[in-house]
Amino acid sequence: MAGRRIALKAIDWVAFAERVPPNQRSMFNALKTRSDAIAAKLASLPESPTTIDWSHYRAAVARAGMVDEFEKKFKALQIPQPVDTQTSAITAQEAESNKSASAYIEGSTARIAQYEQQLDKFKNMIPFDQMTVDDLNDTFPETKLDKVKHPYWPHKPIAEL
Amino acid sequence: MIEKQTRFNQSVYDCLFLVAANALKGSSPLGAGLVQASRSLHTTSQSLAPVPSLPEKGGKVRHGIFPEEIFQLLYPKTGVTGPYMLGTGLLLYMLSKEIYVINHETIAALSIGTVIVYGVKKFGPDVAAFADKLNQDKVAKAQEVKDLAMTSLSQAIEEEKKEQWRAEGRSLLFDAKKNNVAMLLETNYRERLHMVTHEVKRRLDYQVALQDLNRRMEQEHMVNWVEKSVVGSITPQQEKESIAKCISDLKALAKSTQAMA
Repeated sequence: MAGRRIALKAIDWVAFAERVPPNQRSMFNALKTRSDAIAAKLASLPESPTTIDWSHYRAAVARAGMVDEFEKKFKALQIPQPVDTQTSAITAQEAESNKSASAYIEGSTARIAQYEQQLDKFKNMIPFDQMTVDDLNDTFPETKLDKVKHPYWPHKPIAEL
Repeated sequence: MIEKQTRFNQSVYDCLFLVAANALKGSSPLGAGLVQASRSLHTTSQSLAPVPSLPEKGGKVRHGIFPEEIFQLLYPKTGVTGPYMLGTGLLLYMLSKEIYVINHETIAALSIGTVIVYGVKKFGPDVAAFADKLNQDKVAKAQEVKDLAMTSLSQAIEEEKKEQWRAEGRSLLFDAKKNNVAMLLETNYRERLHMVTHEVKRRLDYQVALQDLNRRMEQEHMVNWVEKSVVGSITPQQEKESIAKCISDLKALAKSTQAMA
């Protein structure tokens, strides 16, 4: 009945801390303290318990079959492993977070493409002192004066002058 | 953002208007032909884009009115003084033949002309500088807006990339959680092991201690019993005898010590 070796993944807390956004920092700190407490508790317990010196007890205890009986029962005893209830929940959480993260990354890439497009427009623009009014209206459609809506000069409401 | 855009737009519009005005101010029909000699206005339906930029200054003129081209035209044949001779001749011809009649209007024209020329010569550069500055301010403002837009866009791109990088680290969180769960389970298991061993040991130790206690109690009881029986078995006769023996022994001892001392 010895302890078993569990598969613990080594976590790089430094790299983890770098990736945490500032608004989730407190949650990260709570997680870290909890994890450290658990790890410390685990480390404080020795892996296998102290062995019982059966021969000494056999010599010491007068009652005849008692030590043998104890020894037999002790060796036959199997301690059940504690049941793992949380890992499935965690895996479900992970799947969900993967989904939402990929959706977010998609949206983010779309936004980046949009920004890049606008940036390119600005980069490839004619310099202002070489533009005509038509060029300006092409580059910035908001500058185009609506001559149908306001047929008389200045083709925009006076308040916007 | 929208009102900044519209103000920027109208400022750009204004500045373009001013640019056009400035360009038109300096150019005379022949002067502008320097750059666009080969291109005639609105004759083809093709658009010659990008539109070549307007010339910075108008065509060169001498004495404010006479284009430089005439002087260049006449230079090979008549040298430097040719156009001046031509001008003098023409003037004299018009005066003498009375094609141009001198009357009151002439004096008025001369006076007004003097004043105008004086005014332009004195204040011209300042006014031009002022107009140029207005233009430049508008262009600078537009440029500023453009630069700001570009920097903010590139910054936004950087931040999006950073957020994507952050999102990639989500597996670390779940690893940590799973680790915690595993550690808790292991701790629990070890505690159980320890508890079992501890309890068994306790029971065995109890048995041993019980036995020891029994033995000790038996021993003490036996010792006490033996003592009591021994003390009880001493009869009065024996006691007297033993006391007499003790006294005689003591006397002998005293005598021996007295003899020694």
